[in-house]
Amino acid sequence: MVIAECKNLIKIYSGAQDFRALDEVSLSINQGEFVSIMGPSGCGKSTLLNILGLLDEPTGGEYLLNGTPTAKLSDAKRTRLRRDSIGFIFQSFNLMPKLSVQENIALPMRYTQRPRAEILERARQLAARVGLEDKLLNTPLQLSGGQCQRVACARALANEPSLILADEPTGNLDSKASTDILALLKELNDGGMTIIMVTHDPKIAAGTHRTIHMKDGKIV
Amino acid sequence: MKLPDLLSTGWAEIWAHKMRSFLSFFAIAIGIATFFYTLSVLSQAYRHLQKTSSVAGAGRVETTTRHPLTLPQYKDLLARLPENSSLSFRTDDHFVQEGTWNSLYHRGTQLVGARIYGVLPTWQDVDFVYELEGRFINWKDVENKHQVIVLTVFPREVKERKTRFWWDQDNKNTPVKDYTTHHHLLNQQVTLNDQTFTVVGLLHLPPERQDARLPQNREFVPTMYIPYTTWHHVYPSFSEENNTPTDIRVVTGKESTARLAGKALTGYLRSQFGPDEKPELNFFREKVEEKLKDARKSLNNMLFMGLIAMIAGGIGIMNVTMAVIFSRTKEIGIRRALGASRQDILFQFLVEAMLLGLCGACAGMVLGYMAVLHLAEDTSQMTFSWWVIALSVLIAIVTSFLFALYPAWQAAKLKPVDALKYE
Repeated sequence: MVIAECKNLIKIYSGAQDFRALDEVSLSINQGEFVSIMGPSGCGKSTLLNILGLLDEPTGGEYLLNGTPTAKLSDAKRTRLRRDSIGFIFQSFNLMPKLSVQENIALPMRYTQRPRAEILERARQLAARVGLEDKLLNTPLQLSGGQCQRVACARALANEPSLILADEPTGNLDSKASTDILALLKELNDGGMTIIMVTHDPKIAAGTHRTIHMKDGKIV
Repeated sequence: MKLPDLLSTGWAEIWAHKMRSFLSFFAIAIGIATFFYTLSVLSQAYRHLQKTSSVAGAGRVETTTRHPLTLPQYKDLLARLPENSSLSFRTDDHFVQEGTWNSLYHRGTQLVGARIYGVLPTWQDVDFVYELEGRFINWKDVENKHQVIVLTVFPREVKERKTRFWWDQDNKNTPVKDYTTHHHLLNQQVTLNDQTFTVVGLLHLPPERQDARLPQNREFVPTMYIPYTTWHHVYPSFSEENNTPTDIRVVTGKESTARLAGKALTGYLRSQFGPDEKPELNFFREKVEEKLKDARKSLNNMLFMGLIAMIAGGIGIMNVTMAVIFSRTKEIGIRRALGASRQDILFQFLVEAMLLGLCGACAGMVLGYMAVLHLAEDTSQMTFSWWVIALSVLIAIVTSFLFALYPAWQAAKLKPVDALKYE
């Protein structure tokens, strides 16, 4: 079953000189796949990931998420689809520094109608799943980089998404923490989660099912 | 995002930046203090004047003549007034120099400040805010020039302003005030300036009861009432002088007939004392309205100052909200990526600004309350209405809401991808 499907995606950044970040990119991601995207800086990896994550809109082409065409969705519907279907893991973790681990994991659920008690209980379970049950009340400033990224992984799972988008999740980590995070992502993938990961590291990409190489806005 | 989450997020941000928050709500607090003070004083003035009107009687007109009036003149004048009018006379006040209180008080003691008036029984028809113990002056007393007296008794515990100003000095206790407060004098004999009277009535004004009269009609020194005719009889040397004015008070019962009564009053006095008699008529309703107008005029300036402070506070909140959004652009991006809608972001900043406004309102009301206690002229009867508190809070919150709307909308409009890139 296809989770994400792109047809001739084009993204042009307007300016003094227009820049074509994506040039008729077509790809399809199946459920349960672990796909890595590689390529030099400025090749369009992050732009593609932002469009796949409904954070940005393409200039042309079509993107279907779980079979839903996204081009004409209103901002409210795009937000809801993003909230319910996609989990993000960022290179710089992007945790809220003043919130506790539990509150950080709970954050995506705060934008749903779930009851508060249920949200906190699920956040606790997810923290346990990434091995941080004893750090529930700590803030990100009291955690190591690897632990922060684990919190980010748990947060990405909060709303039970069908797709996880990871933008260089090991980019800010040492090798030990990188291995741990990769193992965690593999474990999630083994559990049926679809993951798309941008990386610069060929060794990490080698551990995924499929690697997409990009250059100058095109898949090569 | 649910309201409790919005509130806790907003409060956490305010608490995390205490100094910035304090500075931004300070101007709001000043504005609210001004509003709170102005509204409290204004509502108090309105409430008081409403009560004043209710005890004053409808269609009330007063004047003063330099001549003493007789009982036949009373009947004659009453017949010329509109139907069902109440007419009463009061002599000028006569100061008590010394007195004996049924041998309990030593002869020759200075009783500075006590005043004796001669009145007709109808004097109690209006402005009668007392609880009467015993009886008031009656027509029999007037016709027979009885040596009876009714005393005002000050409550034992009078709430007085802690801070005393030099202009409060005439409000100090006099020996008579002390004595009548602490001794029950009903049915006892008192000798005042060598005239002996029987105390037939005591007029109490309980401290918990508001004195609804206009301040100029209240007694700040002990006041004693004797029959109108007795006064002229026992103090003849005083009344023979051609400067013993008589206060005349008419209450018609209807505002529409007050002018008619005034005309009748002037006509009668001229017919009795010649065309040179030019009585100055005081229409009570006009006096009350004038008072209200004065109160409104002086408070309008305060309200204007409050408005300026509120606008300054609003601009402060707008400025802070814009700065907050600028410094939290990345956070907005993260929240949008995690599922926050534009509405969630909009509400988050609006709730935060409104919480700041609420803090400003609370601080402002404390300041306003202190201002009322220390600056208002008459605080003894001041009560703080719930609507003044509610209105102050509402003004602060609405101001914060309106001024935060634009920056919050700008934040909500941010594209998640652009906000996330922001460092």
